[in-house]
Parts: sequence; structure tokens; C-alpha cells
Amino acid sequence: MSSALSTVIIIAALLAAAYSLVTALRDRAMGWDHLAALGVLEALLVAQMAVGFVKLAGDGKGPDDTATFVGYLIGVVIIPVVSAGWGLLERTRWGPGVIVVACLAVAVMVVRLGQLWEGAVV
Amino acid sequence: MSEETARPAEAAGTGGGPGRILVAVYGIFALAAGARAAVQIATRFSDAPVAYSLSAFAAAVYVLATVALALGGRTSRRVALASCSIELAGVLVVGTLSLTDKEAFPDETVWSVYGQGYGFVPLVLPVIGLYWLRRTGRRPR
Repeated sequence: MSSALSTVIIIAALLAAAYSLVTALRDRAMGWDHLAALGVLEALLVAQMAVGFVKLAGDGKGPDDTATFVGYLIGVVIIPVVSAGWGLLERTRWGPGVIVVACLAVAVMVVRLGQLWEGAVV
Repeated sequence: MSEETARPAEAAGTGGGPGRILVAVYGIFALAAGARAAVQIATRFSDAPVAYSLSAFAAAVYVLATVALALGGRTSRRVALASCSIELAGVLVVGTLSLTDKEAFPDETVWSVYGQGYGFVPLVLPVIGLYWLRRTGRRPR
């Protein structure tokens, strides 16, 4: 996998999580800024998915566990979208709270993707 | 706890307020366990049929709990109560078995070693779920 892109995604996810955490601690509901952050994260994840599939098709030397890798690649794209919807329904501090959980999950999944690609841990 | 006025967190039932975080975590687990079970069963079911069937069962229970907690109606509460209880029992039984009888579980499930592979969240989650059901269940009569 592209480690540069992975690093960017992890940093973006952690920043979005931190920003949402501050919002939650300040007892505010989520707003357009959170949606924008999730939008950026989603765009990065879609890019990662495209890069991942191109590499799988091209390199010929994909991860040992290709099916799990593809599962993560697709699964992680779903999270920001669903969390945005679920968070928007809650007009309290728990809305951005949902975004914190989602962004942390995205960060963890991107780390796992890297591990699966390297074949370090299966 | 005799008289409790409706608090904002409780107005929306189990899926509102802090419960929204719970549902979010449950949702992520449903996705993780479901995707994992699908991959395991599709690619190498014969390697460890028991473990992989269990993965699929665990995933189904997580999906059920997620939906039930999100809806939070009367029947949903019962379904959520049942699924959280099954999860707690599952993680305890499978966690113990995976330590004592390694042959039965050659590959990991979400519940192996009390959910160690998932940061023990599978162990903590049903406890929080049950607590949350109990807490939101206290209503003035």
C-alpha cells in the first residue's frame, strides 16, 4: 500500500477525532465543519480504495490474505458516511462523540490495512 | 431513585444521548465481525468450521444488538437485552474455551481470549450495553 497516503489518512482521522472531541467536551452539537472534515476523510479513503485495487490488479504481489484486505479496504469507506448520518441525528455533544469513535476506528483500520499488506500480522 | 423527570438523554431511549456512542461502537463491531466472518467462510471455511460459524453467529448478534439499541422501542429493548446477554455469555465461554481447548479454535474469532484481538472491547461492550439498558429503563411509573 501507499504508506504516504496511509500516513496522511491516519493523521487526518486523528485530527478530525481530536477536533470532534473538543466539540463534544465543549458541549456543542456537530456542524458543517465536522461534515467537511468527514468529507475530506471520505475522499482520502476512496482514493485509498482506488489505489488499493489498482495495486492489487497491477503488482501481482498483493497481501497473503487478499480477501480480508479487500474487506477492510471497502469497509473503512462506509464508516465516515454512516457516522455522519448517525451523528447528525443527535443535536447534542454526543453527535460529535460519534465522530470521535468513527475517526478512531478509521485510523485503526488503516493501520490494519498496512499490516495486512505487509503480511506482518494476519 | 424514586422520581425521575425525563432527561434529554432518556427522551430518545437507548439510541439517543450517550447511547448514540454505544450504537456507533456496536455498529463498527457489527461491520468488523460481519466482514471477517464473510471472508473466513468464503475463503477457508473447512479450516475451522466451528470457529468460523461462531464468527458468523457473533456478527449476527452484533447486528441485532446495533439495530435494537438504535431503535430502542419496547420490543427492541428486549431484543437488545437478549443480544447483549448472549454476547457476554459468548465472550466468557468462548474466551475460556479458546484458552483451555486450543484445538477447537485454531483460528481467531471475535470472542477468542476474551476479545483480546479487539482490545477486549467485545468483553466490555455487552456490560456497558446491559448497564445502559438498565439505566434508560428506569422511568417514572
